[in-house]
Amino acid sequence: MSNENEAAIRTGGYQSRIPGISRPKTAAYHAARLFMGGVFLYASYDKILKPAAFAEAVYNYQILPDAAVNLTALVLPWLELVIGACLIAGVWMPGATVISTGLMTVFIASLIYNQMRGLDIHCGCFSTETTEGPVGIWTVLRDAAFLAVSVYLMLHVFWFRRKVSISSRSERE
Amino acid sequence: MVKNELKPLYRALWQTPALVGLALLLAVGINQWRPDGIPLVGDWSADARFADASGHSLVIPLEEARELFERNEVLFVDARPEYQYQEGHLPGALVIPWQEVDRYFMETAEQLEEGKTIVTYCDGESCDLSHDLALFLKDMGFADVRVLVNGWTVWKRAGLPTEGG
Repeated sequence: MSNENEAAIRTGGYQSRIPGISRPKTAAYHAARLFMGGVFLYASYDKILKPAAFAEAVYNYQILPDAAVNLTALVLPWLELVIGACLIAGVWMPGATVISTGLMTVFIASLIYNQMRGLDIHCGCFSTETTEGPVGIWTVLRDAAFLAVSVYLMLHVFWFRRKVSISSRSERE
Repeated sequence: MVKNELKPLYRALWQTPALVGLALLLAVGINQWRPDGIPLVGDWSADARFADASGHSLVIPLEEARELFERNEVLFVDARPEYQYQEGHLPGALVIPWQEVDRYFMETAEQLEEGKTIVTYCDGESCDLSHDLALFLKDMGFADVRVLVNGWTVWKRAGLPTEGG
């Protein structure tokens, strides 16, 4: 997305195949990546500021072995920050969308697993404060919506954009 | 053409580990540098989690709690919400739900001053209420305060007597 000419060439190449579809799809794609980028950046902020509190939240999930709790609590928010930045800048999209989808899958699986075994825990999703309230069905549904956006982005990068790049110079991905 | 179609896949294959590696470097590097960094491998044992301000463990093993109970030298304090206490609790236990600690503490303060070992408990391996309550009671001047980790469950599982419910 460096300049308008390049965009015009790309969309032109695609429109010649299926006219009239590329423009709204492209808008939805950019909206989706900016949205998910924002979600990840926002999610990373509080956890990076308070590593000890976030480690406590990770420990309370009772999923990881004790020895892996701190390292996970340290790396996870930075991974969210890095892919959030990638999604917003639109660089390294194949890697960023794969990680985004992977993270959302792991998050939802952990939430559902602990719901099913009746563990009353705090999400620790966006804040390390316990005022965020305990995990409930809405937490799972919210994450499921994020997962859907993430899957859409991944499909777009791996399927839709591939078609586009065939008939024009591919952008930095 | 074929190469072009596989391009995003190839890119994902090296970008994914690269991004994880970058996050790892940032996380570990900045953690070492910042003053409130945490150890890369934490001590999450009960002794470490349920320690007082100077790092001494407050944990009392079930066996020791049982012995104190049989010698009538223990006062149990339930840190769970009152409805859970009503459904069943350790013998002779007082209830000081951590959520309303100030109110309940005023009501029970006299009973706490019997000179017995105070043992707080709640339910669940990761329940922190009993720990928070124990620290609070120590702050209030009670010297002999211990925590029975996952107390309600381990006490019941050992087939020891309970009250209420």
